[in-house]
Amino acid sequence: MSYRLTAHFGSLRTTLALLALLAVVVMATPSFTPLTVALGLLAVNLVAALFVHPLLRRQLPLLVFHLALLALLVLVGVGRLASLDGRFELTQGVPFDGRLLDKDAGPLYDAGLHRLSFAHHGFEIDYAPGRQRGATRNRVSWQGDNGSARSAVIGDHRPLVIDGHRIYTSPNKGFAPLLRWLPTRGEPVLGAVHLPSFPVHELRQSREWPLPDGREAWVMLQFDETLIDPDKTTSFRLPEAHHLIVRIGELRATLAPGERLALDGGTLVYEGLRTWMGYRVTYDPTLPWLLAASLLAALSLAWHYARKFYFSEPATRPSQSAVGVVHG
Amino acid sequence: MGETFLLQAALGLYGVAVASALVTLMSVRGTSLAPIHAGMALAGAIALHTLAIALRWRTLGHGPFTTMYESLSSNLWSLALVFALAAWGLREVRAALWAAAPVLLLLALWLLLADARPGHLPPTYDTPLLYLHTLVGKLFLGLLLVAVALGAVPVLRQTTWGAQRTAAWPDERRFDELAHRFAAFAFVFETLMLIVGAVWAQDAWGRYWDWDPLESWAFVTWIALAATLHARATFRPAPATHGLWLAGVFAIAFLTFFGVPFISVAPHKGAV
Repeated sequence: MSYRLTAHFGSLRTTLALLALLAVVVMATPSFTPLTVALGLLAVNLVAALFVHPLLRRQLPLLVFHLALLALLVLVGVGRLASLDGRFELTQGVPFDGRLLDKDAGPLYDAGLHRLSFAHHGFEIDYAPGRQRGATRNRVSWQGDNGSARSAVIGDHRPLVIDGHRIYTSPNKGFAPLLRWLPTRGEPVLGAVHLPSFPVHELRQSREWPLPDGREAWVMLQFDETLIDPDKTTSFRLPEAHHLIVRIGELRATLAPGERLALDGGTLVYEGLRTWMGYRVTYDPTLPWLLAASLLAALSLAWHYARKFYFSEPATRPSQSAVGVVHG
Repeated sequence: MGETFLLQAALGLYGVAVASALVTLMSVRGTSLAPIHAGMALAGAIALHTLAIALRWRTLGHGPFTTMYESLSSNLWSLALVFALAAWGLREVRAALWAAAPVLLLLALWLLLADARPGHLPPTYDTPLLYLHTLVGKLFLGLLLVAVALGAVPVLRQTTWGAQRTAAWPDERRFDELAHRFAAFAFVFETLMLIVGAVWAQDAWGRYWDWDPLESWAFVTWIALAATLHARATFRPAPATHGLWLAGVFAIAFLTFFGVPFISVAPHKGAV
């Protein structure tokens, strides 16, 4: 029984069947479990082939290629266990506190987000006619390992890399009115209302903000300018003139920056308008190893074919068993 | 001379090259392996096409990377260039130009119908990885087209008419062996294309692989070519059968290049 199993596992026929299975899985349902099963079977088949077919072991470049493929599978698995993929929003000038809006973290991920304290200091985003988004330039600052102040401009495919974490800007960004609640008794509270993403949700720039005493304040940003003219080349910017409409229960007020609204139990101060940026943070300690293994696979494959087609000695006709394991 | 004129002249010369190859195949018994007229027309077409692409590049400030029109134009150019370079070095490839003709003609006709208006260059395209990814991708598809063309010769020989027309050509095992070589190196470049694409995706979107439609199709193309290389070693197919397998792989690759990026939804469209 075990002999029959061995006879099948490691053969090129089984390899072909499993490659077909993998293709079907990729096209039909490329989700975690089916992919793991298909790739796992291919890995077992390959390990069996390495034991069963000595010719595969004797062809060094081909052996390196297949070992690199195995290493890739192992690294992808380790990466999933130890990785983080999360999202958060940050108000201009407010340091990141490590809290995520949502995340997908592996069980081995050692949460170290509190070490990623950085702040964003505004951004520029170019827009081509038709409101087609161009380059994003987001100024950020953080503390280096030795406590020194660091700064950079990130955006698009230039992430901020801190402690192995890669922090990316996103198309999700908008305006953030800053509100300070001065209670009659107790400590003042400063908060930012992240209005819906701009310019995607240009026509509904409003959101509710909970006051510390439990009441809901509904705020809406109002301005008359066309900030991102669809007919021109332009850039994201704050409105030159604006005001904030605040509604709390039956009370409705219009506030300019610096103005106050007296309420039962305290005073609401509109401090001014800032921006917020949505970020994606990822962590995968296997990335450099994945790149190394995949490049090794490609280069060893090229080495194998170059040697086979151009540098091999004239061979006698190989036996059928040998043919069975000579790769392509 | 405008870009449109240069491109149309190039397309005309592509047509002449293809027609010349087909006429040579159909009209002469024991035909020559070197249809000189076809080669000269192809070289002229590539030269004019290069000028047309360069002119558009200079005008728009970016390469042919954003729209279906630009994708068709640049791939027609790269396929023709890779084929021409292979034909320059191998007489068997020169003889197989007729087999690449349907692909070149399809792209040329599609290009004539495509919307030539410029597209928007996404910010994620501002990276050297764009050029590297494009280069290895074009080498992959070009080498695979050469393999398919070489593999088509044994298929043609399955017919009496084809066997008569190609009687003076080398043994079909020679075409099969060369097809295998080009397919093998196409596999290397496809592997590199996936690697560079993954590096780019990691930087652009924060993940190196996400099984979006284009990634899935590209991976299935890789699997199909890997399977073809394995199957040739396993089953020792007749050259004509191997040629048909390669044509099947090319069909999947063609759909991946010219179908999926422009019908799938975000984030991995032709223009990201």
